[in-house]
Amino acid sequence: MIVFIVRRLVISFFVLLAATFIIYVLTALAGDPLEDLRQDNSPNKAQKIADRSERMQLDLPIPLRYLNWLGNLARGSLGVNRDGQDVATLLADALSATLQLVLAATVLAITIGIVVGITSALRQYSGFDYTVTFAAFVCFSLPLFWVAVMLKQYMAIEFNNWLKDPVIPPTVIGMLALLGGLIFGALTVGERKRRLFAFGIGFLISGALFTLLSVTRWFADPALGLPLILAFGLAAAVGFTALAAGLQYRGPLYATLAAAVIGALSSQVLSPILTNPTWLEIGGLVLLTVAVCVGLGYAFGGLQRRQAITATVLTGLFTGGMVFLDRMLQSFASYSASVRGRPISTIGARTPNYSGDFWQTSLDSAGHLLLPSMALILISLATYTRYSRASMLEVMNQDYVRTARAKGLPERTVVVKHAFRNGLIPITTLMAFDFAGVIGGAVVTETVFGWRGMGFLFTKGLYEVDPGPVMAFFLVTGTAIVVCNMIADILYAYLDPRIRLS
Amino acid sequence: MTTPPNVPIEPHAVDPHVFDDPAAAAASGQILDSAEEVHVGLTLDAVRPPSHEEILRVENLTVEFPTEDGVVHAVRGVSYGLREREVLGIVGESGSGKSVSSLAVMGLLPKSARIKGRILFRGDDMLKMSPRKQRGLRGRKIAMIFQDPMTALNPVHTIGDQLAEAVLAHELMPRKTALARAREMLDLVGIPQAEARLRSYPHEFSGGMRQRAMIAMAVINNPDIIIADEPTTALDVTVQAQILEKLLEVKDAVNAAIVLITHDLGVIAGMAHRVLVMYAGRPVELGDTDPVFEEPRMPYTAGLLGSIPSLEGGGSRLRPIKGTPPSLINLPTGCPFSPRCPLATDICRTEEPQLAETDSGGHFAACHHWDKLAAAEDPTVFFRTESETVA
Amino acid sequence: MTLSAQAPESNTGAAQGMTIVARTQAQMVRRRFFRHRAALAGMIIFGLVLLLSFSSIGFLGVSGWWDKSYLATGALVNQGKPTLSVVPEFLGGSGIRLGEHPFGQDDIGVDYFAKTMRGAQQSIIVAFLVAVVATSVGTLVGAVAGYYRGKTESVLMRFTDVMITIPVLVIAAVVGRRFGDSGVLLLGTFIGLVIWPSMARLLRGEFLSLREKEFVEAARAVGTSASRIIFRHILPNTVGVIIVAATLSVANAVLLESALSFLGLGVQAPDTSLGQLINEYRTAMVTRPWLFWWPGIFIIAIALSINFIGDGLRDAFDPRQTRVRA
Repeated sequence: MIVFIVRRLVISFFVLLAATFIIYVLTALAGDPLEDLRQDNSPNKAQKIADRSERMQLDLPIPLRYLNWLGNLARGSLGVNRDGQDVATLLADALSATLQLVLAATVLAITIGIVVGITSALRQYSGFDYTVTFAAFVCFSLPLFWVAVMLKQYMAIEFNNWLKDPVIPPTVIGMLALLGGLIFGALTVGERKRRLFAFGIGFLISGALFTLLSVTRWFADPALGLPLILAFGLAAAVGFTALAAGLQYRGPLYATLAAAVIGALSSQVLSPILTNPTWLEIGGLVLLTVAVCVGLGYAFGGLQRRQAITATVLTGLFTGGMVFLDRMLQSFASYSASVRGRPISTIGARTPNYSGDFWQTSLDSAGHLLLPSMALILISLATYTRYSRASMLEVMNQDYVRTARAKGLPERTVVVKHAFRNGLIPITTLMAFDFAGVIGGAVVTETVFGWRGMGFLFTKGLYEVDPGPVMAFFLVTGTAIVVCNMIADILYAYLDPRIRLS
Repeated sequence: MTTPPNVPIEPHAVDPHVFDDPAAAAASGQILDSAEEVHVGLTLDAVRPPSHEEILRVENLTVEFPTEDGVVHAVRGVSYGLREREVLGIVGESGSGKSVSSLAVMGLLPKSARIKGRILFRGDDMLKMSPRKQRGLRGRKIAMIFQDPMTALNPVHTIGDQLAEAVLAHELMPRKTALARAREMLDLVGIPQAEARLRSYPHEFSGGMRQRAMIAMAVINNPDIIIADEPTTALDVTVQAQILEKLLEVKDAVNAAIVLITHDLGVIAGMAHRVLVMYAGRPVELGDTDPVFEEPRMPYTAGLLGSIPSLEGGGSRLRPIKGTPPSLINLPTGCPFSPRCPLATDICRTEEPQLAETDSGGHFAACHHWDKLAAAEDPTVFFRTESETVA
Repeated sequence: MTLSAQAPESNTGAAQGMTIVARTQAQMVRRRFFRHRAALAGMIIFGLVLLLSFSSIGFLGVSGWWDKSYLATGALVNQGKPTLSVVPEFLGGSGIRLGEHPFGQDDIGVDYFAKTMRGAQQSIIVAFLVAVVATSVGTLVGAVAGYYRGKTESVLMRFTDVMITIPVLVIAAVVGRRFGDSGVLLLGTFIGLVIWPSMARLLRGEFLSLREKEFVEAARAVGTSASRIIFRHILPNTVGVIIVAATLSVANAVLLESALSFLGLGVQAPDTSLGQLINEYRTAMVTRPWLFWWPGIFIIAIALSINFIGDGLRDAFDPRQTRVRA
């Protein structure tokens, strides 16, 4: 394992080195770095040109400039850009914004994509499957920047306007109810009658829900409240138990239900801490949740101890997430007021000079992250959905799945333990490839949403034929891609015992 | 060789009917006489004989698959019974419906399959059972061994885990107990160092070892019926005999009946009490193994026998059946074998013969002209090649 | 159970009126493709877009049926709103007609239909060039690396590793910055020259598995030259994979080109492409939405239809899914 990592790191180092050379040379050849100054009419034009030429060492041949850059890098310096600013400082500012964006998009795309893809595969040839397949194709074919501009217009500007008086018009409620019904109906397989029934239920539930939200003007001051947290928690408890252990025996179910109740109640008990916590305290609470849940699962699990612990921890974390969400929503009204009623932001990674408590600053980040990550995940989401669907369909046709069924295992175990585990293997390889795509996408998204992140660093450097910032961008993203590749390989070996890392 | 060392003491491991059947008892007296003829060390006659009680009855089973090209009539009216401890061989080419019919018994056909008829397990129709009840039988009362042990075991879970899981699917017990049972089963099928092997992954096993593990998995719940779908086809010739022998030995240990599906007539000859020959989704001949093989009453069976190379009869030559099996989407009218049959007459091309009793009791055939075969001295003679006739 | 493609050895089967028909690989592929409805729709839509964009304003000096130019400015009519109408009069609309400027006019009065058509032409040309160049280079490198293995393979594959470490958009942007204003032909070729590595990886994998097959061994045994084995024996067997990948890469290239042009690193004004049009008018989203919508719709139509064609081809070349188990 360690040998493998070291060897991979050594190879990756040389691969990166070669790539930096290519990028450096291409960037330096991309245009004339003095173009803007040549059209300059100010009296000290000659002086400016001389200054910049000196700073960028334009008198040296490109390979020598590269070697100089490399030498500086070895000494821990990223050099200066063509205006003399320190690249490392620029990079530090840009890094956290982009990292947030890319990580949020990747994690969301993987989770949602895999869940949707697997559901689609298990419901092959259902309305849901066809819809997902078609939607994935549309996502593949959407230009990212176009979507981003649309999101900006409709999800931010118009949505913020609507929030001033959050009443859903009856026609929209009707359409949402119809959509809810269609989703329910499409997920159901079987005879037409059963599907119609499911459609009716979905229609009524979503119709009632949105009417309620509209009448109570929930969006003006949203919150979940203890009853809803409890309800979601209990529902999650039943769901996770059914997935991990089955509902045949009671032990695991008691454990997860207990976890949901304790989680919901503790939101009241822990109120003093939750008023204005730090990320460190939140982390502590997460660890505490896991510890309590492991205990619960162990105590109640009986003969299904392993499954019970898994289900309980998942339930606990989910309930915790609900409590977190509730707290955040509670601050929504005050936050919205402090940004003049425009909580969904279209520009930048945070509101300039904003200060508030933990929940308000979190909301500020979330409001800024929302649209760019929505735009950014579209393509990855489609990729993960298609891949996990294909992979799952392939696996479900394997002989060992038939063997698992022949043993008399419940379908849940067949899918989760035998099919899903194998279906994940090819998806790990996709992660590495997709990550490179997300970084490319981030460049475009940042341009549309005016984030001063890595993408901005890159495009600006490229326009100005200024290798310094471009190389800084590439060093970070290239390293990230290399690391991502390695994680994918390790994950692959972990999931597939036939592969040995060496 | 007769009793494995680690047979678990289970309620029905001791069979009360063993000595009920005098004929069977007599038969088991002459084990060693016929032992040399078959390639299996442990012979069928050495294991406990079948009782008269029927545990599985398949009645008029039909299976159809709608496909883009039309409806595939994979199984068209199969009926047979299986007695306790009996070994029933089902022979046929690929596409004859032999695998599909047994997957139907297991309830493992894809959802798109249209299944009709009755499958009675101890009198209960499995096709009418709730999915949950059906699942309760699967792996516990009826177990299956698949053709290719390379792909039938899940590559990402350990052997022990996959065996223990089969127990835990039907009975709640501590994992340790289930693993202990798994170890016992690996011992039974002759896998050395069973304890350590529980932690191995399938790819660390050889083909023969994997098939042994599959057998262990099939018998771990003491099933009444084991369906073995071409259990040796994917294996090395040298390993085949060992696996078949192990199958008989294990069957005896857990007192199960076996449905043995194969296209290898040699395997059937040494392994099965009775044999069912299938062609184009239909049973065409059914009877005790010896009569069927010695005096076939259906030209297809005769043709199959004629196409086996033999070491002894130096003079006889291979007599392959000409042509290919018909498409299951567009079956010819009349007997499906008629286009390839040397005995075919006009009636064969218009009317499909039904399975009916022939000259000897318990020997059924679906042929208009079974009497012509009965009259011939060598039933394979009809499949003579032209060159042979000229010479 | 194999149901198809099993030709009877003698004519017994055919004589008995049985329906076992031997089909050639190409026939089967064609049949399966035309049964794929989405692919068929994609083909029709792409054909229409192609026809519309090249016949309307003409191409290579041949003039088309649309009389306005994508360069000539004119007086703004009705604030440049589109005159295209598809709602018939009896439904309360203004009838089905194209009008003077069906897609409207831009801020200096240029006919936007002509401009969009020009953009579509340029985008399609770049995309095809990128796909052709990347596929050819990728196939060649992948084939050589997969066939020869050893040193040749490791050198070639290390090189593709290097190229794969660089996100496609990044390398393409760097190239686009240099060649964006030297015409679509150079731009397309050079982008193709930097994005081939993923194709090479795919082909290498195919070759690695095919070179172990018996027919290759047979060819080698009778002393066939390496180049003949590569091009005559193995390559025809990978044709399905290549065609599918090439088709999908056209769709990707359309999106890549438009993204580059949007960033200002692709096709440069006064020439235009669909991405460039969106970039030019992205602030017009609220005031003159048609300037933003038309090029977007065309990008989606092109990319979506090609993606569907690619999917249909993949299904057609990969018959696994129609197999019935028995």
